[in-house]
Amino acid sequence: MTAGPAAAGTSPSASAPGAGTLAAAAVDETPALAAVRRVAVALAIGLAYYLGARVGLRLSLVGNDVTPLWPPTGIAVAGLLVFGRSYWPAVAVAALAVNVPLSPSPLAAAVIAVGNTLAPVVAVTLLRRVGFRRQLDRQRDAIAIVFLGALGSMLVSASIGSAVLLASGSIPASQLATAWVVWWTGDAMGVLSVAPFLLCIPLFREQRSWPRRQWLEAGAVLLLTTALVTAAALMRLPVLFLSLPVLGWAAWRLQLRGAAPAALLATTVTTWTAVAGIGPFAGRDVLEKMVLLQAFNACIALTSFFLAALVSERMQATADLADAAAHLERRVEERTQQLSALNARLVQEIQERSQAQELLSHEEARAQHEHDVAETLQRSLLPGRLPDLPGIALAARYVPATTDLRIGGDWYDVVPLPGGLVGLAVGDVAGHGLPAAATMVQVRTALRAYALQDPSPPAVLRGVHQLVARLPAPEMVTLVYLLLDPVSRRLRWSNAGHPPAVVVRSGTSMRLTGAVAPPIGVTPDGSFTEAELVLPPEATLLLYTDGLVERRGASVLEGIERLGREASEALGASGASGASGVQPDDGLEGLCDHLLHTFLEEGHVEDDVALLALRLAPSVEGELDVRLPAEARNLVQVRSALRRWLHEVGTSEQQADEVLVACGEACANVVQHAYSATTATGDLLVEARVLEDTIDLRVRDEGQWRPATDRGGGWGLQLMRALMDEVEVEHTAAGTTVSLRRRVDLVSRPEPPPSPQPPTGPASEPRE
Amino acid sequence: MSDLARVETSRVDATQVVRVTGELDLSNAHAVVGAVGHGVPEHVTLVVLDLAGTTYLDSAAIASLFRLAQRLRDRRQELRLVVPREAPTRAVVELTRLSQVVTVDESAADLPQASRAYAALPSLEAVVSQRRGEAAGEDPRQDGGPVPGDG
Repeated sequence: MTAGPAAAGTSPSASAPGAGTLAAAAVDETPALAAVRRVAVALAIGLAYYLGARVGLRLSLVGNDVTPLWPPTGIAVAGLLVFGRSYWPAVAVAALAVNVPLSPSPLAAAVIAVGNTLAPVVAVTLLRRVGFRRQLDRQRDAIAIVFLGALGSMLVSASIGSAVLLASGSIPASQLATAWVVWWTGDAMGVLSVAPFLLCIPLFREQRSWPRRQWLEAGAVLLLTTALVTAAALMRLPVLFLSLPVLGWAAWRLQLRGAAPAALLATTVTTWTAVAGIGPFAGRDVLEKMVLLQAFNACIALTSFFLAALVSERMQATADLADAAAHLERRVEERTQQLSALNARLVQEIQERSQAQELLSHEEARAQHEHDVAETLQRSLLPGRLPDLPGIALAARYVPATTDLRIGGDWYDVVPLPGGLVGLAVGDVAGHGLPAAATMVQVRTALRAYALQDPSPPAVLRGVHQLVARLPAPEMVTLVYLLLDPVSRRLRWSNAGHPPAVVVRSGTSMRLTGAVAPPIGVTPDGSFTEAELVLPPEATLLLYTDGLVERRGASVLEGIERLGREASEALGASGASGASGVQPDDGLEGLCDHLLHTFLEEGHVEDDVALLALRLAPSVEGELDVRLPAEARNLVQVRSALRRWLHEVGTSEQQADEVLVACGEACANVVQHAYSATTATGDLLVEARVLEDTIDLRVRDEGQWRPATDRGGGWGLQLMRALMDEVEVEHTAAGTTVSLRRRVDLVSRPEPPPSPQPPTGPASEPRE
Repeated sequence: MSDLARVETSRVDATQVVRVTGELDLSNAHAVVGAVGHGVPEHVTLVVLDLAGTTYLDSAAIASLFRLAQRLRDRRQELRLVVPREAPTRAVVELTRLSQVVTVDESAADLPQASRAYAALPSLEAVVSQRRGEAAGEDPRQDGGPVPGDG
C-alpha cells in the first residue's frame, strides 16, 4: 500500500497515453538526467516491491512465507507496465532481497526471486502482445489482466516457488498442492488488487480531472467500503457481500479511478480479517479461509474491473456516439451552410441573371423604341400623301429596314414649285437610327426651302452642301435632285453621289448618269453641275435609294440594270402606254409593288428603301378636265395643270398668265364660297377646251354660294372680266358654273417640245 | 403654304426690303403678307416689297397688300412695291388699282436714294457664304433666279 504513492511520486511529470511507458516520454531529457531518472525509477520500483512484500508477509496464512495477497507482484506488473520491462532488474534485486531471509538457502532465494521476476515480465509481455491498455477501459483489458496478467502469468512464480520449497525440504510433498494454490492465488490476487490501483494513479493526471463532486463521491465510496468491510470483520454476520454494490457504484460512477482504490481497500481489509481469523473467518481452517477470502477477493476484483471496463467502454461508446453525432451534426451543419451558401449564390446568380435579362430587355426595348421613333419620324416626314399634281402620276414607297437600327436617313420628296415646276428628290443620309433620321429631317426641310428660293438643281445641292457642312456632326448625304417642268417635259438634275435616276419606257430604259458630284459632306468643295433631258412622252421616271438595288454578291450597277429591265418588262406587260386622261394612275402603284416584290426579300430588308415613280400624263388632245377637293392648297395644282394645258395648246406666255389669273380667281371663289354653308368640302372642277382660237374655260362646283352681299371683295370678278372676253356666272341648285372665254393667239408647237439646250456631259445612256 | 412662297428680309438703315419669291394666292397670301407687316420695326420708314420673284398674285394677295399698305400708313411707314413691267403679276397689280395706292417701281434701281443701296447689295446667301470663306470666287446665284415656266 505504501509503495503505491511512492511509485507514483517518482513517476515523471511527462505522461504517455495508451500503453506507452511513462519513461519513454522523457526523450528530450539530457542523457545524464535520463540516467538519473532511470536509477530513481528503478530504486522506487525496488523499494515499493520490497515494502509491498513486507506488508504481504504480515498477511501470510501459511507459516511465514505464503500469503493470500502478495502485493509485490501487482507492484511489479504495474511498474513494468508503466515504466517498461527494462526495469526488471529492480524487481529481481528486490525479490532477492525479500526472499533471502525467508528462504532455506541463498540458492533457493535466488531461484524464487527468478520466478518472482519472471512472472511479471511474462505478464507484461503477454499483455503487450494482446494490446492491453493500462487505462483498463475496455472489457478485453479487464479480461486480459485477469487471465493473462494475474491467473496465467502467476503460474510461473507459483510453480517455481512451490518447487523450490519442496526441493529445499521446507514443505513436505503432501503440502505441495496447498502451497502451490496459496502461492498462485496470492500472487494473482496481488496482481488483481494492487496493479489496477497503481495503474489508476497516472490516470488522475492523464484523464479529465474530477470536479469536487466526484472527489466527494470517491471519498464517500472509500469511506463506505471501509465501513462495510470493517463492519463485516467485526460482526459474525456475513455482510461482506454488501461491499459489492458499493464497488459496483464506484465502478459505475467513477470507473477505474474509483473502483481500483476501493477494491484494494476492501481486499486488504478483508485479507487482514482473514489473517486475524475474525468476523466471517472466525473458527475456520486455513483452506476454508483461503477459499472464502480468495472467492471474495476475486468477486471484488472481477466486479470492479469488469464493471468499470464495461462502463468505460459504454461511456466511450456513448462519447464516440456523441462525437459521431456531433461530427455528423457538424457535417450536416457545414453541409447545410455550404448548401445554403450555394443556394444563396444560386439565388444571387438568378437575380443577377434576371437583372441582366431585365437590363437586356430594357436595352432591347430602348433599341426597339429608338427604331420605332426613327421609323415614325421617317414616315411622318415623308410626304404622307403625295401632292395632287394634275397631269402627273406619282407613286412612292418607303420600306424601313427590318434589322435592328438599320433604319436610317432615306427619304424622298415631291415639291410643287412656283410656275408649275416640280422638284423631285431622293436621298440617303449615311448612318442609321435617330441621328441619321434627324439629319434627314434637316436636309429635307432645307431642300424644300432652297428649291423655293432657287429651283435650279446645282443651287439646291449647293444649299444642302452648305447646310450639311454646318451641321455639328456632318454626315455623308447622297442625293439626286431633279427639277421637272411638266409643261415642256424638261428635266434638269444634279446628282451628289446617288444612284442615277432611271427613265423607263416600254422595252427600254436609260440611266440619268450625268452631272454627278461626290456625295455631300465628303469634300469641302460644293460645286455642282447640272444635266438635262426632255422626258420622252409616256416615260416613267424612277428614283430610288441603294437599298433597293444593292445586293450581296452583285454590283450596284447590275442592280440598277436589273431595275431598268424589270421595270420596262413590267410596263410592257401592263400595256400602260396609250392610257389617256389628265390624272392617270397608269399602274404606277402596281409598278412600285412589283419592283419591291421583285427586289426585296419578304420580312428581311437590309437597308431602308425609298422608291419614287413619276409619269407625265400623255398629251391632252385639246381638253383639260381637273377635279380636285375645293381647298386653297389645291389652287396651285389647278394652275399647274392649266398652265401646262395652255402651253400645249399653244397659248403665248403673257396670255397664258392672264388666263391663269382669271381662272385662279374663279377657282378661289369656289374654294371660298361654294361649300361654306356645308361642313363637308366638295370638289372643284375645271374644264378647258379650245375652239379654233378661243379658250373656253368652265369652273364648276357642286355647292351653294352665299348671297353676294356677304362675299365682299369683288376684285375676283373684276379681274375675270378685265382679263377675259366673256364671263358668265350661273347659279343652279346643282351648283355654280363660271364660264370664261378668251380669244388667244395660238402658236403651233411641235410635239414633243425641243430641248432648250443639249444635255451637259454624258447625261443619258439609252439602253438597247 | 410656305412651300409656295419664300420671304427674305434685309434692312439698310431705315429701309426694310422684303423679297417674296414664289406664288401668292388664297392659300398663303394672308399669312405671308401678314408676316411682312409684323416684321417691320418702329424705326423703319420705308418698306420695299420686292415682287420681282413672285410669279403669281391673285385677288386675295392684292387684298392683303391693300391692308398692309393701310397698316404701314397708320404707322407713318411707307410701302413701295417692285414689280417689273414684264412680270406676270404686273397686270393684276394695275387692274386692281393697287398701283394708285402704293408706289410701284419697275426695278430696285428705281428706288429712291435712301433705299438704292439695297440694289447694290449681294444676296443674303452670298454674304453668308463669303463670310464663311466657302465657295470662294463662286457666285452662288450663277444659275439665275427662279425659272419661269418656259424660260
